Amino acid sequence: MVDLAMHMMDIVQNSIRANASKIEIDFLEESRKATLTFSVKDNGSGMTPETVAKLEDPFFTSRTTRRVGLGVPFLKMSSEQTGGSLKIESELGTGTTIEAVYKTDNPDCLPLGDLGGYLVLLLIANPGIHFSFCYRIDENEFLLDTLELAEQGITEFSNNEMASAIKEYINENLKEIFEDRPKESFLC
Amino acid sequence: MSGIKTLADLKRKQEEVKTQIDLRDKAENPESQVQVKVAMATCGIASGAKNVMEFFVQELPKRGIGAVVTQTGCMGYCFAEPTVEITIPGKDPIVFGYVDAIKADEIIERYIKQGELVDGIIPQNYNTIN
Repeated sequence: MVDLAMHMMDIVQNSIRANASKIEIDFLEESRKATLTFSVKDNGSGMTPETVAKLEDPFFTSRTTRRVGLGVPFLKMSSEQTGGSLKIESELGTGTTIEAVYKTDNPDCLPLGDLGGYLVLLLIANPGIHFSFCYRIDENEFLLDTLELAEQGITEFSNNEMASAIKEYINENLKEIFEDRPKESFLC
Repeated sequence: MSGIKTLADLKRKQEEVKTQIDLRDKAENPESQVQVKVAMATCGIASGAKNVMEFFVQELPKRGIGAVVTQTGCMGYCFAEPTVEITIPGKDPIVFGYVDAIKADEIIERYIKQGELVDGIIPQNYNTIN
């Protein structure tokens, strides 16, 4: 995983597999604490405490096609190498929340990558899922909610022109709030 | 391209686009469309599945092929990522491995359009994994 956008796609894929109908993706930068909290919350099938305990083990997976499961261990590694942490909360039948904290004053902090591009792919590929994406730097935030878009009649994600328009919309707004990021931050 | 920054801009774009969409009867009947599933698990993402998926999403409509592009999990062929499963209506699904933009182009032109089998097929008898 080269950037955080890849992690986002990877972790969200877990939620999709858990048959979630609503997925909340949050990026929260707190300049005072020099942290970035990346979290994915879903209302999917959830896991038992025993499964959660095994999740950080790279040799644990619920799949039958292969014997390794590296998504969560990679996320744990990339967050912990910046001095951050990983937390997973899950309840069977209710859903799962996974939260990775990155220290943005550490040069090992991963770049964000193409968040807009991955988000648009998620929207195109999963029209039935309610996505809510939020990026916040201290007080400034950008929120994208597919229900809100649908209220405005914006549903044609699979149309090429529309897809690039949404990508531009996301990137322009992110660019604006990124201007508030303190210079000390290694996030880029 | 005119700047798109607010929801109102997006809405305008949607209305603009809608008039074009109505001309084509899209997604009326998914059974009759080509289904493209790009493996997007850890292994796929790390090998560049995003570029492949973006390529299919952009190129299929451009070339006039009615298709549904979705993402799927790992099919167990991590060594051959990025992998793509293509289902042409009335045929069994076929999985292609080591797909990049050049391979994807070949798959569209030769397999999807003409039904020719191209290199890179992963032989198997399997069930789709979501």
